[in-house]
Amino acid sequence: MVKYKYIFSLFIGILSLSFSYAQDDSFYAEEKVKDPLQLKGIKFGVNVGRFSDFQFKPDRKSYEASVDFNLSNKYFGVVEGGYSEISFNKDLYSYNSDGTFLKIGLDYNLLKKFPSDFLGIGLRLGWSSFSHTADNIEINLNHWGTEPFPSISNSFDAFWFEASFGVKGEIFKNIYLGWAGIVRAQITGGKNSDFHPYDIPGYGAGSKSLHLAANYYIYYQIPFNSKK
Amino acid sequence: MKNIIYIFVFLVSIFLISCGDDTCNLDTETYLKVNFHTADTNLVNDKFLDSLSIFSSEWTDSIYYSEEKSDSSLLLVLSPNSDLTEFVFTSETEELKDTLKVYHQNEVVFLSPECGFIVNYKIDTFISTYNIIDSLELLNSDISRKNNGQIQIYF
Repeated sequence: MVKYKYIFSLFIGILSLSFSYAQDDSFYAEEKVKDPLQLKGIKFGVNVGRFSDFQFKPDRKSYEASVDFNLSNKYFGVVEGGYSEISFNKDLYSYNSDGTFLKIGLDYNLLKKFPSDFLGIGLRLGWSSFSHTADNIEINLNHWGTEPFPSISNSFDAFWFEASFGVKGEIFKNIYLGWAGIVRAQITGGKNSDFHPYDIPGYGAGSKSLHLAANYYIYYQIPFNSKK
Repeated sequence: MKNIIYIFVFLVSIFLISCGDDTCNLDTETYLKVNFHTADTNLVNDKFLDSLSIFSSEWTDSIYYSEEKSDSSLLLVLSPNSDLTEFVFTSETEELKDTLKVYHQNEVVFLSPECGFIVNYKIDTFISTYNIIDSLELLNSDISRKNNGQIQIYF
């Protein structure tokens, strides 16, 4: 929960930052006649936030990458995908899960003045297919003592929507750093199952209908139509 | 766009100091609540309830009504690995004893990563001897963390 408090407060902070920008007219270029959308480049990204799991959540390995199609640096068609596996042992059970996820959506850039950076919003539809197993289950009950139970396995398909607010800055030519605060709303995901998912790959805690998260990406953009 | 880079670095550092809690703070037992009603004046005069105890053949200890300090009721846990739980009701003041057999279905449910699994029950039926017990009534057959099962026993 502490994490979410931080992320939420930062989310609000960045929102207010964007509003303060919005009041500065010089931040936006003057209205122009609309140009047709052009494919300006394709960005390939890796979610480096996931690598922090190796250090801070050693029971989990997850990878996430993205491709986005830059249309006039205003609209970005985005495809994100990844893989996640979790394995840990507790006193009363051991747990294993693995699965893949895919997200498809659109980013919209609110910046008009800076030709290569991004500060904007995004929408995604997420899907994940995964399975999980609990072994060595024991339940400790008053008077009955500790009783063993057989293993339980389940497979799920989960769907969710997500909305994001984020930034992407070009730190070197065609290399970008990006952060996004994300709200995810689960549509289906086995939340009411007897053995509900501990974690939905690409979504987060399986027991939560609404989930707050953050992404940290590094991108490389292959530029198209790069007239200077 | 240096500002964006500064924001990014700041957000990464905040992310890294987040933390979690790994202890189970929930009750992982699910209960059958047994309410007692003593109408027999002889039993009332003998303070029958104060010396009432319950045991099951698979238990290592008994439940003593006097120790629970409850208001004419006890919380029992059904067998997690069998569909039959047998409770024997005895009292120091009475020579006779009664056996209550509860037939039930068990369902193992994942409570949380910290707490692991619990057992929910659904009582199908029950049978009893009627030495001290006058009658029984099943008030609620579903047992979960949110919902105690309930049996009323009249002595």
